[in-house]
Amino acid sequence: MSAGTARATVRASLTPRRRRRRALAAALGAALLGTALAPRPARAWEAATTHAGLAEQAALASRLHKRLVSLGFTGGLFEPLTIPPADAPALLGALRLVSPTHGAVPDARGRQAALGWLAAGAVLADVPAAHGANHFFDPLTGRGWQMPERGAIDRLSDAVRGALGRAALPARGVPAPDWIISRDNPFNLDAFASQYAKAVSAPTPGERSRHMAAALVAAGAILHTLGDLGSPSRVRGDALAHFEPLGGGPDDLGSRFERIAALAHGRLGIPGPSRVITRARLRDYFTAKDGTGLADLVARSYYSPNTLPAPMRASSDATPVLARPTPAPPRRLNLMAASRDEGSVLRDVKGTCLARYRVEHNVVAFSIDDECMLEQVDALLPEVVAYETGLLDFLLRGELQINIGGELAVSGKGLGAGSIEVFVDDDRGVRTKLTTAAVAAGAEALVRVAAPAAGVRVIALYRGTDPSGEPLIAVGAMPLTR
Amino acid sequence: MLVCNARGLLIRPPTSVADLFVARLVARLAIVIAAGAALGACALPATRTAPFRERPDAADAGSLVGPFDGRVADTTTKAPIAGALVYGAWTLERGTALTEPAGAKEFVGSTDAAGYYKVPELGVLPRGVRVTEFTLLVYKRGYIAYRSDRRFADLGPRMDFAQHGNQVLLERWRTELSHARHLRFVGSGTAVAALTAWELADASAELDGKRQQGEDLRPGRGEGQYVVAAQLLTEADIKKRTRYDGGFETGPLADEPDTASYSSQHFKALGRPEAWDIALRMWRLEPGKAQDRYEELLSQLPNTVEKDEVASRSFQASEGEIRGYGYLDAPRGIVVFINCGSNQCTSPDDATALARITYDRIKQLLPMALGGKP
Repeated sequence: MSAGTARATVRASLTPRRRRRRALAAALGAALLGTALAPRPARAWEAATTHAGLAEQAALASRLHKRLVSLGFTGGLFEPLTIPPADAPALLGALRLVSPTHGAVPDARGRQAALGWLAAGAVLADVPAAHGANHFFDPLTGRGWQMPERGAIDRLSDAVRGALGRAALPARGVPAPDWIISRDNPFNLDAFASQYAKAVSAPTPGERSRHMAAALVAAGAILHTLGDLGSPSRVRGDALAHFEPLGGGPDDLGSRFERIAALAHGRLGIPGPSRVITRARLRDYFTAKDGTGLADLVARSYYSPNTLPAPMRASSDATPVLARPTPAPPRRLNLMAASRDEGSVLRDVKGTCLARYRVEHNVVAFSIDDECMLEQVDALLPEVVAYETGLLDFLLRGELQINIGGELAVSGKGLGAGSIEVFVDDDRGVRTKLTTAAVAAGAEALVRVAAPAAGVRVIALYRGTDPSGEPLIAVGAMPLTR
Repeated sequence: MLVCNARGLLIRPPTSVADLFVARLVARLAIVIAAGAALGACALPATRTAPFRERPDAADAGSLVGPFDGRVADTTTKAPIAGALVYGAWTLERGTALTEPAGAKEFVGSTDAAGYYKVPELGVLPRGVRVTEFTLLVYKRGYIAYRSDRRFADLGPRMDFAQHGNQVLLERWRTELSHARHLRFVGSGTAVAALTAWELADASAELDGKRQQGEDLRPGRGEGQYVVAAQLLTEADIKKRTRYDGGFETGPLADEPDTASYSSQHFKALGRPEAWDIALRMWRLEPGKAQDRYEELLSQLPNTVEKDEVASRSFQASEGEIRGYGYLDAPRGIVVFINCGSNQCTSPDDATALARITYDRIKQLLPMALGGKP
């Protein structure tokens, strides 16, 4: 069969969807003209487009809207929340670095919808750039980012560009699951919990609005840190995949994979979640002993450009030499198909392209081309949103029940030792504390207090831990109808 | 001030061969260094390859730096849309391998009377910053916004944006569309947030499962030919009748979105008070309901006088500086009401004449078949 006939056969065998994908891959390739001749590695998602879109989709699928409404932010995800620029000049200054078309930039008064603040956190997780080094985690070694060894010419080029002002990269990063609880992380779990609690307990609507916006920024940044682990290079110790020329000048090194995801889906085209992932511990969303964390799943299911099977001799008894045990290619490769111009494709059980392989000069070489990357992006994004949705629900998981009869009684399940506060809102939205009480581990009836004589809403706030010992903020709210 | 083509160097004249050699060497080195520095300082900002074409009919990629130009028109009527927000934003980035946003440059403008827009070229950027993206947003209330990178309908990548001679066709807003989706689509920032704030409550209601109750159909659809208010009267019709020499900003009225049975068109006089404006409203209903709507207008509008000069029934109305003319086309189930400012329609006859023009257009668009059905 001639090469032309082979190509025609391949074209004929493509489903319409795959043909569209090929066309899109070709268009994306054209958009990456400057890098057309370069090798093709992969890395994580772009902050302002892909990450913002992932966070938005997670928010839309999560309980966040209902939680906001119940707490008095009546517009839910579209409730305008304000952080006055004078209160957080650094935060607002950082957000001015982002294009407003990405939906994460407040107006001049520091006001935008709750959904925008969550997306803002997803964007700000990469500011400063060195923080991006803390969004890696290899479940096999337990390590995060490590500055890769580069070739002599690349090292020389780096030295010259460094002398001209290119920022130096950190030698190591904090592994992502540790970064979200690290004290060095301004958007860590404590920051979220503290702001979330204040968004419930602060006396005035303005203060609560400001704290809720800040809580959502922290939540968005935590989602970003998790979402990055949906990129194979970040969970397979492949930092070298982050040094690919992207066409915007000699310092514009990044990944083709990231650009393809951003060009194909942007912020707005990110799909919804494939499902919602539920885990008992925060870390389990990242990595778990049973291998169900996002990093575990992606690391064992996909290759990255520098962790592909090594080139090997094209013989029927040759077996590929693997950088890592999984994903394992089939015992027998289709060497006849791989001898054609387009080579052959390794696919997973769902049919997603994992790599392409070709025989040339009697050597089988593996690679990941644009079309293959696009298939991976399409398969990975719904999974990443599923994990992010689950994580967002996890952060908001604590719920309290309020009953008002002769007395006001607050109850809750699965609470460890902690404290509970009860508040009442007046018709201006001013929130006043009614009582505070200690909560014993395992208690369900948390507090009883005389029902308030006036007010429009009762709010309860628990701070403590859950049965797994994880920090927990639980809230409950009930309108007062008289 | 930096002169980018400066080349000359003032060097002391040499006094010997050795001096000459050294002087030439120094001069050449100095020229190389100066030229390098000058080129570095004057170099265009580093940019990625634009994902759009230079012109709609060209194969060459455009430039992220700009400038950009194009025209905005109504999808249905192809009439130019004046006064639409034209918002351009450049995304800037810095860093290597681990990157971070490095600021955004924005342009806020609007379309002119003929619907044309121009976005100037991006200016000088700080060193070490590169341009990674340009996004154009066009927004006018009553229409679905336009983005240069994505389509609203399926949020897929837009492939038809061009740097020069771009055609933006705005589709009218419909009640069945999602405000939550639209707010995400338009993005954020001061200019856009101010214009889209009215959608927040509707977007929130959607997430609560309380969708706006309305007719979930395309405006102007009805039975037979597709007709909306914008097709009934043009800027040229108005100028011919009233001798008005200015321009109009056109688009749907902001008070009520188009539905399957209702559409509107606003001719807002550019740089003139409201007394120069014209507003056209059209309802296309079942004949019985059209009769009810006509009666409703007749009874509720101020100073109405039945005239029966146009279509099945018609009336004049007036209040202060505004003249009104309404009519019922009973066989077609159409009710039309025109508001015309007294500076534009200096006499009641002007409003009547404009009403006749719209009725003639209805008859052209929806000819009656034998048997009396449109």
